[in-house]
Amino acid sequence: MNLNVPYKRLNCCLKNKTLTPTFKLKLSKNKLLFALTFTILQANAYASPINIGIPSVNASIGNHIFPAPLTTIDSSSKIKPAKPPIDIRGRVLDEKGTPLPGASVKVKGSPQGTMTDSNGSFSLKGVSSDAVLVISFVGYDSREVKAAATVNISLQPNKSDLAEVTVIGYGTQRKSEVTGSISSVKGSALAEQPVTSFEGALGGRASGVNVTVNSGNLNEPPVFRIRGTNSLSLSSYPLVVIDGVPSFTGEEESGIGNASNNPLSSINPADIESIDIAKDAAATSIYGSRAANGVVFVTTKKGRMGKAKVNFSSTLNFNTAANLPKLLNAEQYIELKNEGLRNEGTFNPATNYYDYSLDANGNRVDTRWYDHIYRTGLSTFNNVNISGATESTKYYASVGYTDQEGIFRKTDFSRKSALFNIDNKTTNWLSIGAKINYNNELNASAMSNGSRGNQSASGGMSRVALISAPIVGPFNADGTYNTTTAGFLGLQDNASHLSGQSRLGFYNPVLSMDYNSSDNRVNSIQSNAYVEIKPLSWLSFKSIYGIDYRYVTFENYFSPLTGEAISTNGASASVQSRRERWVWTNTLSADKRFGDHSFNFLLGEEEQKTNGNQFGVRVTGQTDPLYTNTQGGWQNVFLNNTANSVFDNYLFSLFTRLQYNYQQRYFLTGNYRVDEYSALGANNKRGTFWGFSAGWDVAKESFWSQAGLENVVNSLKFRASYGKVGNVGGLSDFGAINTYSAALYGGQSGLIYSATGNSDLRWETSKKTDFGVNFGLFGNKITGELAYYRNNIDGLIFGVPLPPSVGIPNSNNNSIMQNVGRMYNQGVEFSIGGAPIRKENFSWNANFNLTTNKNQVLELAEGVPSIITGTNDALTITLPGYSAGMLYAVRTGGVDAATGRRIFLDKSGRKVYYQHVAGAGAPSPYQWSYEDNTQAPAITPSSDAVIYQQSAPKVFGGLSNVFNYKGFELNILLTYQLGGYMINGTQASLRDNRFWNNEVGMLRRWQQPGQQTDIPKVINGDNVSNGNTMPLDINVSSTDFLRLKSAQLSYNLPSTFISKFKLTNTRVFVSGQNLWLLTKYSGIDPEVTTNANSAIGQGIDKNQSPNARTIVVGLNFGF
Amino acid sequence: MNFKHQNKNKMIKRSFLYRYSLRFLLLAGTGLTLLPACKRSEYLNPQPSTLITDVDAFSTAERIQAQVNGIYFRLKAGDFLGSFYFVASEARAGDFISTNLNAAAAATTYQLLTVTTTEEVQEIWEDGYQAINAANVFIDGMNNGGKTVVGEAIASNYIAEARLVRAVAYYYLLQLYAQPYANGAGSRPGLPLRLTGNNNSGSYDLKRSTVNETYDQILEDLNFAEQNLPDNYSSAALNTTRAHKNTAIALKTKVYLSMQDYQNVIVEANKIVSVAAPFTSSARVAHALNPSVLTVFNPPYTSTESIFSMPFSSNDAPGSSLGGYFLPGTGDGGSPTSNGAGNLNLNPNGLPADPSWTTADDRRQFLLTGTRTGRLWLTKFKQASPYLDYVPVIRYAEVLLNLSEALARTTGGVDARAVALLSAVRNRSDKTTSYTTASFADNAALISAIIKERHIEFLGEGIRNADIMRLQLDIPAKPAHSVPAASPSSPNYIFPIPSDELLLNKLIENN
Repeated sequence: MNLNVPYKRLNCCLKNKTLTPTFKLKLSKNKLLFALTFTILQANAYASPINIGIPSVNASIGNHIFPAPLTTIDSSSKIKPAKPPIDIRGRVLDEKGTPLPGASVKVKGSPQGTMTDSNGSFSLKGVSSDAVLVISFVGYDSREVKAAATVNISLQPNKSDLAEVTVIGYGTQRKSEVTGSISSVKGSALAEQPVTSFEGALGGRASGVNVTVNSGNLNEPPVFRIRGTNSLSLSSYPLVVIDGVPSFTGEEESGIGNASNNPLSSINPADIESIDIAKDAAATSIYGSRAANGVVFVTTKKGRMGKAKVNFSSTLNFNTAANLPKLLNAEQYIELKNEGLRNEGTFNPATNYYDYSLDANGNRVDTRWYDHIYRTGLSTFNNVNISGATESTKYYASVGYTDQEGIFRKTDFSRKSALFNIDNKTTNWLSIGAKINYNNELNASAMSNGSRGNQSASGGMSRVALISAPIVGPFNADGTYNTTTAGFLGLQDNASHLSGQSRLGFYNPVLSMDYNSSDNRVNSIQSNAYVEIKPLSWLSFKSIYGIDYRYVTFENYFSPLTGEAISTNGASASVQSRRERWVWTNTLSADKRFGDHSFNFLLGEEEQKTNGNQFGVRVTGQTDPLYTNTQGGWQNVFLNNTANSVFDNYLFSLFTRLQYNYQQRYFLTGNYRVDEYSALGANNKRGTFWGFSAGWDVAKESFWSQAGLENVVNSLKFRASYGKVGNVGGLSDFGAINTYSAALYGGQSGLIYSATGNSDLRWETSKKTDFGVNFGLFGNKITGELAYYRNNIDGLIFGVPLPPSVGIPNSNNNSIMQNVGRMYNQGVEFSIGGAPIRKENFSWNANFNLTTNKNQVLELAEGVPSIITGTNDALTITLPGYSAGMLYAVRTGGVDAATGRRIFLDKSGRKVYYQHVAGAGAPSPYQWSYEDNTQAPAITPSSDAVIYQQSAPKVFGGLSNVFNYKGFELNILLTYQLGGYMINGTQASLRDNRFWNNEVGMLRRWQQPGQQTDIPKVINGDNVSNGNTMPLDINVSSTDFLRLKSAQLSYNLPSTFISKFKLTNTRVFVSGQNLWLLTKYSGIDPEVTTNANSAIGQGIDKNQSPNARTIVVGLNFGF
Repeated sequence: MNFKHQNKNKMIKRSFLYRYSLRFLLLAGTGLTLLPACKRSEYLNPQPSTLITDVDAFSTAERIQAQVNGIYFRLKAGDFLGSFYFVASEARAGDFISTNLNAAAAATTYQLLTVTTTEEVQEIWEDGYQAINAANVFIDGMNNGGKTVVGEAIASNYIAEARLVRAVAYYYLLQLYAQPYANGAGSRPGLPLRLTGNNNSGSYDLKRSTVNETYDQILEDLNFAEQNLPDNYSSAALNTTRAHKNTAIALKTKVYLSMQDYQNVIVEANKIVSVAAPFTSSARVAHALNPSVLTVFNPPYTSTESIFSMPFSSNDAPGSSLGGYFLPGTGDGGSPTSNGAGNLNLNPNGLPADPSWTTADDRRQFLLTGTRTGRLWLTKFKQASPYLDYVPVIRYAEVLLNLSEALARTTGGVDARAVALLSAVRNRSDKTTSYTTASFADNAALISAIIKERHIEFLGEGIRNADIMRLQLDIPAKPAHSVPAASPSSPNYIFPIPSDELLLNKLIENN
């Protein structure tokens, strides 16, 4: 009740009294006469301070019954009876429906306010019913709502990056002040992806970052590139810094097992808060000698204000091979192979022909080998975490359990992990904290799965699945395994009449998978502890000591029954690998502001030492079938063939950085770092690296707002950077010195000259230039970035090959590591994101990014015109003037319609015809002949291959869309790439005219004169015509693709419902990976490549396993 | 008033110190634990714990002696004399059939389809030259200080061993990568002759010397070796695995035979072969034929017949191996202690069908018929994995037959000593046969018998291919896989030079 009276006020506060006024009004001319009576009411009626202006009243209110004055007041005064104040209860949720504890709830224009509790709930009493509540939380857009008895509100994440911070080396920086090129990905974008390590889910999410998941093998590190390939023979993998400590990455791990392992899988993706990817010199140069490939900062989760909160998440995944080539069935196989024998002239209806085998029931064998090798793998990911924070202490603890079955039988990954993060602000000048991440992993694979470039082994699962003959099965009719004396697939019923063959496949996969095992077990600990002292408010000293310890045990067992070990009567090997790294970083930072001038100065010292060794034994000659591990009874023990090695390297660094800005408008940053690395040549261990950058936020200028532009373009920041960084990743610890190693000769001790180093070996250097502009439109409804980059790489290290007759010993004989060669990467990055629709119940967020990359080698070593890598069926060539790792292929000219011969083109372009069987009855007396049937030299890759196509994509990127409707969210990620090519060596395998099974395209083969086709006449034994022994242009095709990388539909159960179960958030979701693919690539998948992370061996797909298609159902809840 | 002020100031100071002392103490304490500079220098220059640097390799007599073994170790590399050189030779020579036409098991060589990029073409060359450079680096190291560590006498022993290894490597490379001496009397391109140690980057273009020049170098090395090697060693094992004077002499009979220099074969052979049967070496190591050919290939492989062999032990097992290629799997007649991968089986219609190889001949015991496939397998090298059978480089039987052939070719007619030498080898294994001069109608028949004897005696030992080449015979056809014969004029008669050498050595020419 409020009587607005322009006279003296009577203020009365009736504490704990509930009164109601009674009016008696009487009009007299311009005067209002009224009588006011207060009476006690029942307990719950409303009473609040009342201001009554009554000119004549001067008595205080003290009695229960107020004496009723009678007076006159001005009739122009308004009498506005107010609504009663209300009590408010409510909840604050994030965009996904998860409660936000610690959010601030304030009554606008009043000191009244509160914070949400751990359930995101709050209550306010006695709020004016027409009040407005302001609800805010760090990182989210504030919202205002009208007061009501129940207020349930969800906040949207802050799209403006003004408030966000980004991890930069040795510190963080507000995004608005960053002048380097840094892409950020939230951990939540990766957490529910069915990946064993985070980098597998980064593809398409950030510009400049190209992640190619190159096989369906569990835990195989993907091909990870930032702004192109930045080395030829050293690592092109970015430096990964986890909570300030540089981590081991997959490239450095070697072992003996068939199963993959990846050191980055030791971080549970569910524990990741954010990933910041530094790309240019400004952002990376603080990491000096290791920054050339970019730096990836991984930050694990910390607790948030509020009481302890528990979160549980669990997913169930179904993995299948996404795509497999269509192969011949038994009938087609017999037809084709017999035709091959006829065309060879060796078909004999009694002694040499292919026919069915019969199984135990007398039925014809028609084996689909895929069914014996692939499966639908079932996987679960489970995580529980507890987190919270008080004013002084933040904590986050989690445990995770992952159990994955791969698409191949007997390939498994399981991980148990635990993470504990604690941060304590002991006093206002002292903070201490610690982290422990423990991880225990099992990687298992019975046979070769191609994870170590061994997909073309006799026991390579994906290869065996393709080329084993369908007319034999894994078992003979009597139930025994079908195997030859050499462990290959036997002829079965063909044994009596297929004289030209001794086998119809490579190793029997069922036999090998039933008996063999090849596991590696990983225990790793990543831990750090820090102390931060602030002697003065603007000065801070921080010392952080971190460790990254990895203990890997490899153990193989190959049964004497199986192809893998039939010749050695069984074999087993065990290797223990220990790598221990400590990193100690001391930094002093000063952060001081003088009026409009802000300075941040960093001075640091860092040491990193890595020690370890790898040692194992290999045993052969099993003495009893019981012994299936290395310690059992074996005849022979070997100390070699187990990749024994000793690790010892050390990196010492001093670095400094100065950041300056004027009024948050003009920004300058300078970095300088000196690194000394033990593995480099004695003369060149020290290197200096630096970077400068500048930025200008135009939208902060007064002319900008004066021109009225700020409503359209609310932020516009230009930046430029230049700097020099280095690369030494993958360099061997003692590779710079000439060494002798021990050997035995007839049991006598020996010493062999075994490695030739180079005392001048120094850093590869990369000079990076970056120009960019970041913009925000319409109040940051749309934000984006456009950047140009160029990396000039100098002093590329690679093993400069010498003539083999020089006899230089090395792990790669006849080559010496030298700094030779130059190349560059340049391109443009563009990203744009925003929320085209943002309504109460429906919103749509979209992000698009695009990166172009042009790579060109400028110079190689003197006397090295080119570097050719690969095996003869798939080669790449690297040479000045071209992109690194061009496909190198022999050209063909189709199939001769008259004779069905493959036409090759020699170096000069002249047609050369190939016939596998020359001589009588053949079109030409020579195997290789010109059009006029005169003899031609054999076509070979070394003399006739041409530089054919670029393997690396020229353009790549992604488009992510998030749709929210009430509790539902649909998340769709599309990825694409353009401009690359790959040689489909798998197709060449599948068109081999030996006993190998073929793909159905072979049914188009040439059969009669005049027939136009692309498949030559089939002749038994011909492995040349279709390219299985040399790279042919016909097997090369474009890898352009558009892929539905992932799609996820989730639903947040209404809080009103779940609160009945004392839950604060509950989410259910289904998602799929690799659901759809649009490509012209002739093979199964344009992302599948054979040579793992090899810098210049990309673009080759030979018998590589397909990618997995995964369907996920999951559940998340917390309380 | 003044006093009060001072007091206040003091109090402020004290409280400042009080408030800040702990944090500065902590700061200083942390700073003091930083690593001292000397430790840093040690960390930045780590000494490998499993490797010996070139600075230290010649610092002690023990290391130098170990290096000598290291040079032999290079010679017995898996792709060179450890097995694959001999496997590739046998795959060409027509006695064997490639079981699986597996390119990784010399099938390309078998099919005579070798090109510059074929694996064996590249690897045999590479491993041969690795041995050559190992010898060269060692010789240089000895001349640059090693001599003073071990003394002149021992140094010359060691250098002689290194030069012998170099000669052997050049000899074997010559048999595959160059036209035989018989083609143009040694005038055709031979090998690039590398005679100094290479241990850093640089320019290494070098043209091929002629076949003659290459042989000259081989002989110079072997002559030096004969002069400077010891007479013998302390054990039969060392006499078999390390070179002594007789080793150099025996090798020279092999080299001169390839050069068709029969006079010198006789000169050299006579140094270690007695005038009359029983043929033995009276000088130094008492070489003689082992009573049974079968036991020559049994452990410990160190009979006096084995002049020079490549040894193996369980911690020093061959990578690829003769047994692994030739022995059948356990399902086809192999036993758990004697089986292999069965990559090469014998052509049953070839040498095994030759009637002159009598059934009474012990050497037929090296043949095994597959229990399941009926294929014929060679079991001369009979140990199962890890295949520790020694690989013979030269046996006394070869010296005898070298001498026999040289005598037959120089004397014309049916030379009695030549026949006696031939008979010694034949009769050792075939007690039913003893040759006399009457056994041979003429010189040609005698020579033909000697060649046949070599064929039988050294089956699987890689000698047949070199014989085919020096005699300018066709490389036989392999009907089992429609591989045609190659005549001495065909391009695939010898290996091409490997592609890397062609690419990187600007002065080299291909075959």
